[in-house]
Amino acid sequence: MNYRILHLLFLLHAVIPASAALADSDSAVFKKDILPILQAKCVQCHGSENQESMVRLDTLSTDLMKNRAAAETWHEVLNALDSAEMPPEDEDQLTDEELASLTGWIRKTLDDYVKATSRRSGRVVHRRLNREEYQNTLLDLLGLDMDYARDLPPDSPSEDGFQNNGQALQMSAFQLEYALATARRALDRVIVSGPAPQQYDHEFTESNVRNWRGNVERSNRLQRSQVFLGTMVKDYPEAGEFRIRVTFSAELRPNKGYPILELSVGYRPDTEILFRNVDSVEIKSEAQQTLEFRGRLENHPLPVRGQGKYPGLVVRVRNAYDDGSQRPKAQKGKFPDEPNLPVINIHSVQFEAPFFEQWPPQLHRQIIGDPAEQQNDETSWANKALTQFLPRAFRRPVTEQEIERFVDFFQTVRPEFPTVEEAMRETLAMALISPDFLYLVEPAGDEKRPVTSSELASRLSYFLWSTMPDDQLAARAADDSLLNQTVLASEVERLLADERSQRFVDQFTRQWLNLDVVDRVAISKSYYPKFPEGLKQDMIGETQQFFAFLLQENDSALKLLQSDFTMMNEPLAKHYGYPDVWGRDFRPVKLNRDDHRGGLLGHASVLLSNSTGADSHAVRRAVWIRDRLLDDPPAPPPPDAPTLDEADPEFLTLSIREQLEVHRERAACASCHKDIDPWGIALENFDAVGLWRDEVRRQKGKRFDKLPVNAVDTLPDGQELNGVDGLRRYLLNNRKQQFARALVTRLLTYALGRKLELTDESAIDDLTNKFVKNDYRLGDLVTQIVTSESFQTK
Amino acid sequence: MARKSWHLNRRTFLMGTGGVSLALPWMECMADAAPATAPATDSPRRLCAMYWGFGIGLPKEDSEHANWRWFPKGEGRDFEFTDSLRPLECFRDDLTVLGGLSHPNGRKMGGHDTGDTFLTGAFLNNQYLENTISVDQVAAASVSDQTRFSSLVLSTDGGVGEPTRSSTLSYNDKGRPMPAMHQPQQIFDRFFGAGDADSIAQRRRLKSASKMLDRVLENSRSLNRRLGKQDQEKFAEYLASVRQIEQRVERSQRWLEIPRPELRDEERDMLSLESDDKAPRLFMRTMYDLMYLAFRTDSTRVATYQITNMADASSNAGKFPQLEGFKSNLHGLAHGWNKPEGAVKLGQWDQFMAEQFSYFLRRLASAQEGNGSVLDHSLILYGSSNSTTHHNHNYPLILAGGSNLGLQHGRYLKLGSDVPMSNLFVTLLNCFGKETEAFADSTGELSELTHA
Repeated sequence: MNYRILHLLFLLHAVIPASAALADSDSAVFKKDILPILQAKCVQCHGSENQESMVRLDTLSTDLMKNRAAAETWHEVLNALDSAEMPPEDEDQLTDEELASLTGWIRKTLDDYVKATSRRSGRVVHRRLNREEYQNTLLDLLGLDMDYARDLPPDSPSEDGFQNNGQALQMSAFQLEYALATARRALDRVIVSGPAPQQYDHEFTESNVRNWRGNVERSNRLQRSQVFLGTMVKDYPEAGEFRIRVTFSAELRPNKGYPILELSVGYRPDTEILFRNVDSVEIKSEAQQTLEFRGRLENHPLPVRGQGKYPGLVVRVRNAYDDGSQRPKAQKGKFPDEPNLPVINIHSVQFEAPFFEQWPPQLHRQIIGDPAEQQNDETSWANKALTQFLPRAFRRPVTEQEIERFVDFFQTVRPEFPTVEEAMRETLAMALISPDFLYLVEPAGDEKRPVTSSELASRLSYFLWSTMPDDQLAARAADDSLLNQTVLASEVERLLADERSQRFVDQFTRQWLNLDVVDRVAISKSYYPKFPEGLKQDMIGETQQFFAFLLQENDSALKLLQSDFTMMNEPLAKHYGYPDVWGRDFRPVKLNRDDHRGGLLGHASVLLSNSTGADSHAVRRAVWIRDRLLDDPPAPPPPDAPTLDEADPEFLTLSIREQLEVHRERAACASCHKDIDPWGIALENFDAVGLWRDEVRRQKGKRFDKLPVNAVDTLPDGQELNGVDGLRRYLLNNRKQQFARALVTRLLTYALGRKLELTDESAIDDLTNKFVKNDYRLGDLVTQIVTSESFQTK
Repeated sequence: MARKSWHLNRRTFLMGTGGVSLALPWMECMADAAPATAPATDSPRRLCAMYWGFGIGLPKEDSEHANWRWFPKGEGRDFEFTDSLRPLECFRDDLTVLGGLSHPNGRKMGGHDTGDTFLTGAFLNNQYLENTISVDQVAAASVSDQTRFSSLVLSTDGGVGEPTRSSTLSYNDKGRPMPAMHQPQQIFDRFFGAGDADSIAQRRRLKSASKMLDRVLENSRSLNRRLGKQDQEKFAEYLASVRQIEQRVERSQRWLEIPRPELRDEERDMLSLESDDKAPRLFMRTMYDLMYLAFRTDSTRVATYQITNMADASSNAGKFPQLEGFKSNLHGLAHGWNKPEGAVKLGQWDQFMAEQFSYFLRRLASAQEGNGSVLDHSLILYGSSNSTTHHNHNYPLILAGGSNLGLQHGRYLKLGSDVPMSNLFVTLLNCFGKETEAFADSTGELSELTHA
């Protein structure tokens, strides 16, 4: 749809009379025809005495214009009736007539409501950048490598788990205060004053530390037990950029992973944080080469000067490759050669800091220009710098008046500061705490309007890159060519092809699939004594890389449900039992025929995050499937949910499925759990860390009892789910449409940064239909969303 | 304060008993003697509250695991701690265990939804999520001009979290959640850091900030006029924040002349500022240390600390028990209270929590102040909004300290469910020095607390 048609649509909307609020006659209809049905069949559980699932119907408002939440609840009621979920089967049922008049009334009431409010509701709320976006944006804006989000409080997720929801993201004095402190901290580093500082340059050809802690051998020949240490006792600066060049060669080993060169800088022996990594790189060639690394000293833990017994600032190089085998013992401080492991031979390490090619450095010049100019006329110099900086910081054209206001501030504070740079830092800091920087600002009245080209550029760039528009996108916005849908589509393609789109994949999959929980599950040491903690990141990596692969290939999203391959790297392949996958990079690996793994339901990340760390957690897995894959989350447990008297030792000898059956014998639990448990039971063949099992282990003292796995259960509609394969078949045969709609819903929610409402239903339907017709292609879905009216409307 | 019999000599203790005893909870009773820090004039009055989610172990009184029942045996002065609260034995005369209390509104809410209202008493449900001011902030507002910081708000997860699963205990006068701090280093820097070493530079920046905020507010107001109603509602947060930091800057200017509090070497040495939620015991103690230091130096008089919450898997604190060697996460552990092994495990967790709390009390008791200790001038509430998991009545609560502020201790008070918990808050505010007749849904004072 092009921009003009969009405009027309708005005009058309405006012509429709907005008189759809419930008239008195409607309310009479409710009292006469509807309320009696509710009172007869519903209020026993949803009335004054009980409010199952926190729903009370006899007093639920029918004046939806005044009570938006009530509209959402009526919508849920309609869904429950349409899907025959309510009334529960063991309760008094509605007659066909009653059902028809009830659903007919709700449908009409909701339709009227949607018509009356569609021009006003379903709007993106003025939203603040979240931590991730704030970090990326400042990095792009200032070019300085710094942990900008360090001091900001964690962001609040929305109810559906998204961290870019404008309504959920809060602003507080605390947040703003640290935004100012962060801006000043960054600008102090970017904008320098005074003469160039002394530069240091050290070259190490061997470790120069005499005493070192721990059981570590110093060497130029690095396997997992050796380190190379270059130390500087006095001759190093406290701050500024550093450049490190490492010259080395490698020895690769057949049927092993590549050596991993890990470079760290620091040494704070009085704390437990000794080093911070600069980078780690997999080395895939044996030839001699030189790698160059850059970083900032102030990002690393620095030693306290003058602590004589410590060796000063240390540059450490290690070979981080470890195949997980038993480590040999050192003899007289030397570790034996491990012929099976790859080697890095260090030739030299050069350290230069503070590193700059000219003074003031490039970053400084980029932002406030040539220092020579500021000598003559500070005001016109400031004007020039701000004319350049503000449109980038605010992501939109900036008026003369706005620039004037900042110049005026500069002039006001200038006399207070000894140097022009200090006054300029304050002026730029003011921009960085302005709402125009901290929020995605889209001024608009109470009625919807199409977004402007620069608003569209920001929406697009924060959707797909989690950062501000780059120069090209900003240029497309500046000349309004972005409003041309062909140009827009090609920009979507360009952004997706750029590696920054991995941020979209990371953020969206984390929030949609709740992958952060992987880090929060503590793995039981007694059940999994050898579980390497680092594997958790590879598990998350599989899911993210799998999604990224489908997106880049514009492949079918149904592969998220079932696929004959998955993404693996060396550690994950080892975990899954696939030989011959070497190195840390993820790649598609074809799964064995009898493997049950393909698709999200076989991803270790999903299985682990919904486990206890010792065993599977069938209920949690079930809730995850219904919430994340089907967008049909079960209601939370009611107040004072009864607990089972599980004191009977016999209970513990039952399998999970049998225990859940006992649980379901209670009517109060059954009404919800009969449509929860089977979804999770089907995954019982996967243990806590996502490995296949035929027996469930249960710890008893030092031993483990073994119980057979029972992964068969029946849904309330009589459908049997037999293990993960049965579950997959069922999803693909019976719930494909629902999954597609769920994915569209979640992706649209993320893209818009707001909760979807009743008024969005038709847009979701529309997108879902296109998505299904287009063979569920994931890449195209992104384009469809960007070109949808919802995305282009404020 | 007179040296009590439980004040063992630390040196003898370590030499005499060896490593095994180090695990015993009552080692917490040893308070290090510390020099008096404040003159004997009017000592500051403080208020702080700690909270954990999912409740406590409550096996039946006649069951074989009754010794892991959180509430003491007996009643009134004649009570006996079970193993769950054993680490608090040595503070028996400095605390009162409260049974039976809860927020009437909380009893109408979801089993996992009551963390947000622990200190507010408000009613929340999925259609109405507006909270009201928390008791700590009422106290803070009344003495705000006395200290460098108005309050210290801490939690393990930091920030505000989401409604009904919040990660803060404190709510401002508009009922908005106040972000909690969770990084020890950041807390330390804010409260005790030297700031800008150069006070002239600091003054310049404060002055410039004040002008900057004026202009930002002016620009924002003109932006606000161009926003739709819904956006304006959201943007009100920003406008309010700018005004608040303006006040904060003004306050900093006033406090600039007054040097930052000096910490003693041993106080600095014992802080583990790099600790994080991966090592719960150390982390909790560090948070307690920071609260203690903030009180001891009179940097603030009000603090809250949400130790764990009810966000379960989406909370960093959820895995605390596992990191301390328990087999389940917090929610799992809480659900096990009526399983055979579960009661013991949960009881041991309750004991672990009590040990850390006891550590905090010991620190406060060890600092002399006026005619008592910092503890004697601090009103300390420690509790949860569940009894056993999902159950929003009979909150497990301990009120400690404040002996010089009128609290009578050494008892286990069983109260009826007709007493709203807000009555406790009314009494606390009055002891704090903020004259109060009513708070939230209170019906009066809890006079038992101030009468022996």
